[in-house]
Amino acid sequence: MARVTVQDHDLVVTIEGLDKLWALKSSLTIPLRNVRGATVDPGIVKQSKGIRAPGTHLPGVITAGTFHQEGERIFWDVRDAAKAVVIELADERYARLVVEVDDPRVTVALIESATRGS
Amino acid sequence: MGRTRQFDEDTVVRAAVELFATRAYDGISVDDLVTHLGVHRNSLYKTFGSKKGLYLVALRRHADDHVRPLAEALGSAADLEQAARLITAAPLDLLLVSAVERAPYDPEVAEVVARAFGDLDRALAGLLPDALASAFTAALLGVRLRARATGPSTEDLAGALAHRLGE
Repeated sequence: MARVTVQDHDLVVTIEGLDKLWALKSSLTIPLRNVRGATVDPGIVKQSKGIRAPGTHLPGVITAGTFHQEGERIFWDVRDAAKAVVIELADERYARLVVEVDDPRVTVALIESATRGS
Repeated sequence: MGRTRQFDEDTVVRAAVELFATRAYDGISVDDLVTHLGVHRNSLYKTFGSKKGLYLVALRRHADDHVRPLAEALGSAADLEQAARLITAAPLDLLLVSAVERAPYDPEVAEVVARAFGDLDRALAGLLPDALASAFTAALLGVRLRARATGPSTEDLAGALAHRLGE
């Protein structure tokens, strides 16, 4: 589970609880100008995730860490597919983040309002 | 974005205009987009940033492809009855769905919808004074909404309104 907040001009994604261990990361800070959008996407968990390095992938249990696919680096932290949100980035280490959040619609609305007009 | 896209963006956006016109925004999942638009998930995110990004591109495309030509045709309509026929016949489903469903909650969608309505109002400047032009287009878009719900017999309503206003 991740907590997504906006602090000044940054989007801060904090990885909570034991997921920190599986994902090998405790937080990510992304300038809002590098955030292209966010989407509620429960279906993404079913698609191929590419090659994991480094991180944890127990199919059906948890997908966490850095994955490489089609030349892109993607960060995952998802246990419950129903709560997956995709955050698309530009000019960042990761092309996109796929994270589980408490309330996907609220998170997407937060990101859309924080990045509006940018 | 120097990399060659593995799909035809134009075709995808036109298909999105059709799909987003069929039901509520939240009722269309990314799975639906991937299935109906024939584009890979990663390409979709890479190109449009998000579902919302694709929606905005599709709505703007709808305004360019369908609302602008309608406004041009209205600008040279001979009378209100012809104008009414043009408005009731034009493909405006995405504009109507957006106005009802997304615009109240999304300022960027509201902006595109407001501009489209304004274009239609102004196109009638030769036939009606400003306030009446807005009332006329609003009534005809209402006729379109009714037709979406109860079937396509809108000719009479639109014709009667045009006839009465044109007297």
